[in-house]
Amino acid sequence: MGGSCSLRIDSEDDADVEKAAVAAEAEVRRLERKFSRFLPDSLVTAINNAAGLGRFIPIDSETEGLLNFADTLWQQSGGLFDPTSGVLRQAWDFRSDKLPRQDSLDRLLPLVGWERVQRGPGSVYLPQTGMELDLGGYVKEYAADAAASVLRSHGMTNALVDLAGDMQAVSSQGNGEAWRIGIRSPGNGDQAVGGLDLTEAGLASSGNYERCINLNGKRYGHILDPHTGWPVEGLAAVSVSASQCLVAGGIATIAMLLPADKALCWITDLGVPFLAVDADQRVVVQGMDTKAELAETFHESLRWLS
Amino acid sequence: MLPGESKSALLALTSGALLLPAYQHAHADAPPEFTNLGLVYGQYREDDITSDKSAGGDSKRMEVDIAHFFLFAPVAEDWSLALDVTWEDMSGASPWFVGQSASGDPKVIMSAASIRDTRTSVSVTTRYYYDRGNAGLNYTRSSEDDYESDAIAFDASFNSADGMQTYSAAVSVSKDTLEPTQGPTPTSTLKDNKDTRSAWVGVTQIVSKRAIVRFGLSYTYSDGFLTDPYKANDQRPDSRKEWAVDAGYRHFLTGLNGAVKVDYRFFDDDWGINSHTIDIAWHQNLGQDLQLIPFLRYYTQAEAEFFSNQVDGTERFFSDDYRLSAFGAISMGLRVRAGIGDWSVNLSGERYRTDEGWGVYGGEESPALVDSWRVSFGLDYTFK
Repeated sequence: MGGSCSLRIDSEDDADVEKAAVAAEAEVRRLERKFSRFLPDSLVTAINNAAGLGRFIPIDSETEGLLNFADTLWQQSGGLFDPTSGVLRQAWDFRSDKLPRQDSLDRLLPLVGWERVQRGPGSVYLPQTGMELDLGGYVKEYAADAAASVLRSHGMTNALVDLAGDMQAVSSQGNGEAWRIGIRSPGNGDQAVGGLDLTEAGLASSGNYERCINLNGKRYGHILDPHTGWPVEGLAAVSVSASQCLVAGGIATIAMLLPADKALCWITDLGVPFLAVDADQRVVVQGMDTKAELAETFHESLRWLS
Repeated sequence: MLPGESKSALLALTSGALLLPAYQHAHADAPPEFTNLGLVYGQYREDDITSDKSAGGDSKRMEVDIAHFFLFAPVAEDWSLALDVTWEDMSGASPWFVGQSASGDPKVIMSAASIRDTRTSVSVTTRYYYDRGNAGLNYTRSSEDDYESDAIAFDASFNSADGMQTYSAAVSVSKDTLEPTQGPTPTSTLKDNKDTRSAWVGVTQIVSKRAIVRFGLSYTYSDGFLTDPYKANDQRPDSRKEWAVDAGYRHFLTGLNGAVKVDYRFFDDDWGINSHTIDIAWHQNLGQDLQLIPFLRYYTQAEAEFFSNQVDGTERFFSDDYRLSAFGAISMGLRVRAGIGDWSVNLSGERYRTDEGWGVYGGEESPALVDSWRVSFGLDYTFK
């Protein structure tokens, strides 16, 4: 799932905790096996391999639900979120300092187009060879929710799932206090630069910080506009909290794709707690706390999880 | 996107998420998203019978005009509804019996007067979607001047956890009543019944990056009046057991942007008929919205034990119906599908030719073997 994952469970019965933790971990692995586009026997790989083959691939309700959710993200973002845009990464190498040639992007752009993905009842079909579905943008968030759901079904009433920064809290801590989530500054020990109290809610983050190409004073982040194939020029990073980690992740993803001013306006209006950093490294916060004296170092050292 | 839309955005995202299994205890499958409706008009034309094959009656064989309407729509949270209505207008003459020319060659005597009939069929399917598949219940009523049929079918499919296999099964029963129209040619019954029960199982497997294979097995048992009441020399057993195995293979060829589909079916029954069908089709994608599908089908069957051009009326069973004779058939055609926004246009044309010499089984050649044309034009519309 990329990054370190942890489960925190407050319970008095160690045997039950053990069982619940094993089941939650198995649930996360199940979702990874099913939806990873890197695993050769995943369902997503099967869908991608059948692209242009002329036949719908049968999918279960969970996959259909995730695709419906992708459709909601696509609609709400005005088409900026596109689960078929992953193919554009073939042209971009963010480990190099080279920009892609326009003609290699032009070759890939016709393969992007969520609106062309054919979804029937219980099935899906990518109509063109080379088209790819990538649910990586939100499956980790869904997995955090699913693991939390497994913990609940095992009777765990106080728990926190953390999948490399995508978190879902099951109620509060055992002592009744909220889970205190710190947004940490790696360069500054365990000190939190921002944070929030999480009770029965999710937190997800998205950033354009880590993978990028700096060339001639211009920064090219890894979040790409599906219409042009070039990086969006929006926020640098955002963390969002919502009732479900999946919803938080969806909001964070859309916010990253929108132009920064529009994104801040939209997300403020949603009324959800968030913490955003724009390209000029200004921090905007709603419903989370941040310490003013730490805000300045925030942009330099923040370990954004993507 | 305007800021004012944000509240509905949160609602849309949340309600979209809450449909997922992780937020529910019940793992219900999602219903279909789209409504699809369409109309197809088709013509089926049999070639006229030539004078060297026929010794009397009308030389004009059957013509059928077909109109088909279909609707497929989500109706409730986990349900869909499909409606199919077909109208057929049939006219022409059909083989009445096979006689002999002066030189001893078998010749068909066609029915004297032109047959005219219309058939209306209404089929309703409700389908329930569950976690790993769906199940459907279908009722079909078909009605002609001389034939009524009621059929009920149930089917279910189940996908494996990784979605690589789909297992399917179906059962159906039908109850038919025939009441032949009384005209210038006598009929062998005034009113009778026929019952049919059948079962089918199948599996579809994704075998490689670009290939899919499918297998199926079916069994059908019919009893009642199985004879053609309009034919003079036709007396068939009052039961029939049929088995069929079929297999299909689909392979996509990236370089050609097309897929080859090969299907094979073996059929066997307790009347002595068995048959092989090989179907080969090529699906050529041309751009986003156009698909050309040329296809070729070869069919060969062995004759029924009781088939003969010169029937012996003292036997328990006999028939000179060309459909029970040994023959080979080749059909070839082209289908064209074009998508225009939410609309799709489907055109097809098919030529069917039969010849005793094309079959792999020996037997008497029936002079009544038929060649035909089939064309259709369809339009369908998909919306949310």
